[in-house]
Order: sequence, then C-alpha cells, then structure tokens
Amino acid sequence: MFRNTYDSDNTVFSPQGRLHQVEYALEAVKQGSAAVGLRSKTHAVLLALKRSTGELASYQQKMFRIDDHVGIAIAGLTSDARVLSNFMRQQAMSSKMLFNRPVPVNRLVGSIADKAQVNTQEYGRRPYGVGFLVIGHDQSGPHLYEFSPSGNSYEYFAMSIGARSQSAKTYLEKHYEEFADAPLEDLIRHGLHALRETLQQDKELNVNNTSIGLIGPTSEHETKATLPQGAFRILENEAVEPFLQTMVAKSTDSSAPAPAGASSSGAGGSSDVQMSG
Amino acid sequence: MDHFPTNWGRPRNDAYDAYGTFPLPHRPNNDTKDAFASGVQRTQQPIVTGTSVLALKYKDGIMMAADNLASYGSLARFKDVQRLHPVGKYTVIGAGGDISDFQYIQKFLEELIIEEFTSQDGHDLGPAEIHEYLSQVMYARRSKLNPLWNSLLVGGFKDGKSFLAYVDLLGTTYSASTLATGFGAYLAQPILRKEVEGKETELTEDEAIRIMETCIRVLYYRDARSIDKYQLATITADGVKISDSRHISTSWSFAEGIRGYGAQTQ
Amino acid sequence: MTSIGTGYDLSASTYSPDGRIFQVEYATKAVENSGTAIGVKVNDGIVLAVEKLIHSKLLVPEANRRIQTIDRHIGLATAGLLADGRNITTRARDEAVNYREAYNAPTPLKILADRLGLYVQAYTLYSSVRPFGISTILGAVDKDGPSLYVVEPSGVFFGYNGAAVGKGRQLAKTELEKLKLSELTTREAVYEAARIIYLVHEDAKEKEFELELSWIGKETDGVHLPVPKDLHRDAEAKAKAALETFE
Repeated sequence: MFRNTYDSDNTVFSPQGRLHQVEYALEAVKQGSAAVGLRSKTHAVLLALKRSTGELASYQQKMFRIDDHVGIAIAGLTSDARVLSNFMRQQAMSSKMLFNRPVPVNRLVGSIADKAQVNTQEYGRRPYGVGFLVIGHDQSGPHLYEFSPSGNSYEYFAMSIGARSQSAKTYLEKHYEEFADAPLEDLIRHGLHALRETLQQDKELNVNNTSIGLIGPTSEHETKATLPQGAFRILENEAVEPFLQTMVAKSTDSSAPAPAGASSSGAGGSSDVQMSG
Repeated sequence: MDHFPTNWGRPRNDAYDAYGTFPLPHRPNNDTKDAFASGVQRTQQPIVTGTSVLALKYKDGIMMAADNLASYGSLARFKDVQRLHPVGKYTVIGAGGDISDFQYIQKFLEELIIEEFTSQDGHDLGPAEIHEYLSQVMYARRSKLNPLWNSLLVGGFKDGKSFLAYVDLLGTTYSASTLATGFGAYLAQPILRKEVEGKETELTEDEAIRIMETCIRVLYYRDARSIDKYQLATITADGVKISDSRHISTSWSFAEGIRGYGAQTQ
Repeated sequence: MTSIGTGYDLSASTYSPDGRIFQVEYATKAVENSGTAIGVKVNDGIVLAVEKLIHSKLLVPEANRRIQTIDRHIGLATAGLLADGRNITTRARDEAVNYREAYNAPTPLKILADRLGLYVQAYTLYSSVRPFGISTILGAVDKDGPSLYVVEPSGVFFGYNGAAVGKGRQLAKTELEKLKLSELTTREAVYEAARIIYLVHEDAKEKEFELELSWIGKETDGVHLPVPKDLHRDAEAKAKAALETFE
C-alpha cells in the first residue's frame, strides 16, 4: 500500500532524515494549475491559469486579496488555501488595529509558514496541500514570496508553482535580470510568456482561463481606477484581453525556451523542493 | 468582600441561626446578599503621581519636558524620577499620573520593541505606530473599568516627519503642535500656543529650550505638585536625546513680604 | 544500517533492543544534509556564520536569513530543516520574553539553552510528534561575558568555544581547533569564520552558496547584529584569497 515503510505519517523521519509525507504534500501543490509571480522595482505581479471542470462549470478561483497591499495566487488544495488566506487576513487586520500599519509582507508570510511547520511535526494532522505565491508592497517596496507546505518561505525575484511550473521557471531564469527595470506592461508580458510554458500542447491562454493580480501604479491597459492608488487588484475576463494582446506568438519568439514537454511536472521533483538549507 | 462596615464582625443577617436549631445540611444560606457581594474594586485613584508633561514641535523635531517629582498625595515622595522614556530609536513618551502604571507601560513597550528588533527586517515601529498601540491599550483598559491612570504624550521623529500626540486613561487621543498634560494644560499650554503656533518650522532648539524653561518656571511657582528639577528630551533626525536633570532658577524674595510665609514674628 | 526494517525505528517512543532511539538518530541525518553553520567564541564577543546553499538563482540575495535574533544580545543559527529552525526561533524568543518579564533582566544564555534543551527533548518522548531535525547554535554576550551553546535534536546541549553543525562540521571543527580563540578580537573572528565557511564549502563541492555572518561584541554594543556590509565584503574577499593559498 505504501511506497515505503517511512511515508505513512508525518511524525516519522526516514533513515536519510527525510519527511516523506511532507514531500508528498509538495506533490499536491504540483497537482494544481500553475501560477507565476514576478516583480520589478515598482510592481509585483501574479499570473495564474484557471481550470474548470467542464463546460457548465465556472473557473476555479486562483487568486485572493488579503489586504490593500497583499495578494496571493495558489496552487493545490483550494480549501486549504481558504483557511490560510483567512488567517492572513486576520493578521493583516490585527496589524491595522494595533498599530495602524499595513502588516510587513515578510512577517505575514512567516506567520503562515510557522503554522504550516506545526503540521509537519505533529501526529493527527497532515501538512497543508497548497503552495502560495504572495505579492505585497510595504515600506521596503514590492516583494514576491513563495510559501510551501513544508513550512518554508523564500523571497524571489520571480517564481512559479503548480503543474508543469518547471517550464515557467526555466523561462523566468532566462529573463529575470530584465525584470527589475521593466515597465508594468513588459512585466506582465513576461509573466504571460512564462505561464504559457506550463500549458499543454493544444491549449492557450485566453480571457477565461487567465487571472492577473498586481500591485503598483495603474497600467495604461487598465480601465477601472484602483482605489487606493496601487492597491492589489485582480484582473479577469475582458480586463485581461489587452494584456493577452501584447503577447508575442510563440513560434516567432526567438527567446522562448525549448518546448515544455520534456521538463514538465513531477519528475523533476526534488530539484525545486528545498526542505533544508 | 462585604463593603458594609456595619455587617463586619457580626452575624450577617437576621436569618443567622445563632442557636444551631437546624441540622447542618439545612442551615439557611447566610452569604451576603447585597449587590457588592461578588464585586471587585478596581483602581479608583492614582497613588504615586507625576504632574505635568510639556511638549512642542520645533524646527528640528519634537521637544518634551517633565520634572523629576513623584508625589505621594501632597508629599514630595521621590525627587529623582525620570518621567520621559525613550521607546525605540524614534520615540519618547512622557507620563503624568500614576508612576507605577507608567513603569508597567515602559515594561510592555520595551517588550514590544525587542520583538520588533528581533525580526531584523527593517520594519521599525515609529511614533505613530506606538501612539496607536498605546491608545488601543488605554482604551481597552478603560473599557474593562481598570484604567492605566496616566496621561501620556508621545513625541517622535521618523522619515523626516515629526509626530506629537496625546493619549490618556480614557483612551482619548489628541494631536497638536503643542501639548501639555496635568496642570500644564491650564498653566503652560497658553504660553506654548502663543510662542509656538505658526512658528513650528522656524523655532530653533535654543528658543524651544527657553520656552520650556518659562513654562517649567510658571508651573513650579503655581503647581504645588511640581519641583524645580526637570529633564528635556529632543527627538530629531539625530535620534532621541534625554538631558540630565536641570535646575530651574526661581526668585522668592517677594515672599518675605507675605504674611505667614517667612520668618515673621507676627 | 541494521535498524531499517526492524520496526524499532518508526517512532520516537520506541527503543531498539540495544537501547537506541532511531528516530532521533534519523533526525540528526536531516541536520547532516544541511549547509554548515559555525559559531566562534572569543574573549570579547561571538561570531556566527552560515553557509546558505542557494537552490535557485531567482532567490533575492540577503533576503532569506538563516541566522535569527532572539533577544537584543542573543543570536541563533540552525542547521537542518529550515522550518524547524523557525519553530525553535519562535520558542526561544518566547522564553527570552518570559525570563525578562519575570526578572526584568536580559536572559543569560545558559538558562535559555537549558529551556530550549527541555523543549527539544520533549519532542523525543512521544510517538505523536517527531524530533526536531535541527542542531541549533546559540550565541550571546550576557552578564558573564560571551557564551556559545549547541542544542542537538536529542535535547542535549553543550557549551563550546567553537562550534560547527551541518554537512561540513568535521572539517570546520578541525579548523576551529587550530585557532587561538583567546587571542582573537571579535573582528578578527569574523574573518576566520568567513574563511572556514568558504573552506568547508570548497571541500564539499556543493552548489552555490551565500555567506551569512552576524556578531555580538564591543563594536555592536553587546547587541546581536548582521556584520556590516563593508566588513562582510572584506571578510569574503580575504576568505576567497585564503582558499587559493590553501591548496
């Protein structure tokens, strides 16, 4: 029934000092559709691929607003994500109540990482089955963090999670040095290009399956004014269209990395899973 | 606690079974039945107190002043108490009212500052955040009918901006370019307003010190809970500085002519 | 290993017939897979240094710290599961606050190490939890001067003059033993710590890493702080130079 003797619950170390249950939880994240995050000196952006279970079903929500200055994109179990994002909202409210200060993004991410760690150490729980990309803006500018069920959180210039996210990661690693000074439209275009890498052969990004979340000054393509200025907002449906228009077709995009198929999902496994430093 | 002294030391009410006529399990319940029976009494007044705190905005930031006296009623009980307290790198709080409550406030703010320091992420609490936090604590305590009996001034300077605000035992907050608590609110505030308002960006540190000295002197002459030893705090771009104790000069020669004051024979 | 498959190694609450608790031993394996962390105690201060392995070039440099501050005067570095390191950090901060509340004084490191030892040990007693997969180096300058402790996954803790945990601890310990710790200033110890981390890393031929340094001493006024940028850069440059002459 089990793959080995040491993977039945999360309170057991394997002889190599690994936690198999936690590693399986990281696999749960890869079952979810992909999300990409990246940031410049002025903006932080999330892009996510929404799934729908069929023609009659709506698309599953991939992004959540936490506060005016923080938003998340998720991959994995949506119900776990809702529990954690609720907790994040409480943290944000508490900071506003006590200090009248937007909660520093690193502390917010740290607080859910600490919660997740407990679920990797105590019997009768399972690790969360969801990964987050968190963007936020605070005193020290825009940020992008990855949160994972292992209880780790890291700050990145750009990152991707979810199914076939390795392909997106390859794209991001190739281009991330351009991001810092990129205007918002370019940043989003890079994000869409990276997200496109995670698609299966016959699929493409469209207004129905693409969400864009962003923080920072308004883009020329945005029609609705955001209040307060630069606050986190999620663009969906027709609001996404102008950004999709900016994409460069894949065949003519010389800088596009090798076709996804080879390096996609699961197999690449442990290389993007960092349990220990 | 039964708060009716007439009940003390005697059977509690008429139903008391003085001759043990009932068997034990059937004795009447003789617990006190007044409304205060299960009551507790919370702080009704401050005990050891400090008097006025003064603060003003000037060119470089905020200046705050308070004398060194802690009174026990009308007794000048402690004459070397510091009532200005730094909180982190950008803020000073000054307290009038109960000194032990103030010491408690100092303690929990210190814990807060250490908590902030240990995160080492560049997010420091400035005066505005500390004032907000204090006002939440003060309001929460007063809502539990258990106030911290102080009026506090919070002054600070961070990111090129100066901050000055007031919070008291009721949780009331107030902000202005000059503030004074206690007797100072009546005696010093008019002087401060006259000297400072409209000149916040021009006043030099020396001028600000002179204004403070004037106010402290007036207070020493007229506030019987004050002394002539005081400290000045400045919070500027250079950080927090709290001076050693200073002495205010006063002249009492006029008192010789006052009946019942000097060594008069009649 | 003979333990595998015997069934005596599936719970922290089970002894093997020869009296070992394998789950605790496996936890130390998690420590051994991690980047090296060292602590150096000299007469007037403490230096902590960590070899932070970089698993992606998309990481923001200097943002993801592995050395934590517990109280003004106490620093902590862990090797092992990163998330466990954060858990122990939270606990250590709570203990420090608790001591301060009770005694209105900075926590002596000996007491903090003792309390953390108890905490970690509790996780070796029950099948319902797993032991901590970390070794923790604690450094402080307290009322008795500088002190340095290491808390192991088993809950035992020892005081050290020079401590090393993680993958490269053997070589690091050999190098630490060569130092005349009683003659070094804290500043000099920063250079030595940087050199040792570089040396250990070179030896293991691992992926890229970032050096993390912190110190407590006269120059920091007894406060635990990251080593200033210019000193950090200089120590790194000297460490790289030393590598070339070493071989």
